[in-house]
Amino acid sequence: MRYVKWGFWITLAVLVFAFFHYTLPQRDIVRIVGTDSRRIDVGENSIFWARPEVGMADSANRDVFFIRAIQTNGRPMEYRNEDTGWGWPPYFKINSSSLQTQATSLISTEENPKWVAITHYGWRNNFFTIFPNATSVRVVEGPDVTLIPWMNIVILTVLAGLLFMLWRMWAQFRERMIDPAIEDMGVAIDNLDARADQARANARTRWGRFKAWLAGTGRR
Amino acid sequence: MILGWVRLAVFGFVALSVVYLLVSVYSRSTRREALEKEFDAGGIEGDRDDYIRAGMERYQHGLRRKLILLVYVIPTVVVGILVWANFQWG
Repeated sequence: MRYVKWGFWITLAVLVFAFFHYTLPQRDIVRIVGTDSRRIDVGENSIFWARPEVGMADSANRDVFFIRAIQTNGRPMEYRNEDTGWGWPPYFKINSSSLQTQATSLISTEENPKWVAITHYGWRNNFFTIFPNATSVRVVEGPDVTLIPWMNIVILTVLAGLLFMLWRMWAQFRERMIDPAIEDMGVAIDNLDARADQARANARTRWGRFKAWLAGTGRR
Repeated sequence: MILGWVRLAVFGFVALSVVYLLVSVYSRSTRREALEKEFDAGGIEGDRDDYIRAGMERYQHGLRRKLILLVYVIPTVVVGILVWANFQWG
């Protein structure tokens, strides 16, 4: 039973962490080597893809922009560049075309690298063919600048605040509504007990039984 | 097909209304509790129920109750800023 309990909490913690790790913005420092778009037939991996651009027809078969890059450690990285529009996750990204233009203008070579910070959410995974979705790009001074994730700090702080608020509300509800109700119930049960004891004591004598019978008829 | 932003507006309004309801119930509850404690601390003339009723009446017309409307305002402003920023930038 202990293993089940631990397993449950660990699974929940991993799921919550994965959710935030996927959804919150992250920044990579990369060098863009190319941009293109290709036809995508979204299949089983559809939850890892966004949606057609705002105002376009809803279709699982569409062209998607891609940004190809090399990371500071020399390894390749690919980003998709899709609108999230009015849907989830709430980035309200409507400028995938402009972002593609900007990314294209920042293409650089290995000899003369132009380092950029690409803000994105999502994961790259070869087994599912999924790509992080780039949301913005800007030039940085070099490959080893330190970026402080202010946005994530703010978002997580606000979420922690909301969670605290929810907990306070629940505590208040319990203190003011549930506990008094249980107390009332306890008092009612005690009264019932006392009456039963009285009845049992009365039932020991004939006179008592008669009185109890009389009381019973009166109540009916 | 429903327009994307209309769907967001409708579901957002429903979700925020639930939040508004919860927050206003919580706020009333804490106010009432504070009034009860004030009276029980002693030094106040009159009936306990009357004192609390008058206090809640004041709360009903007070600023604090109106501030709960920020539940609707803040998310709308944040979404507006995000969309505007993406639009400007794009």
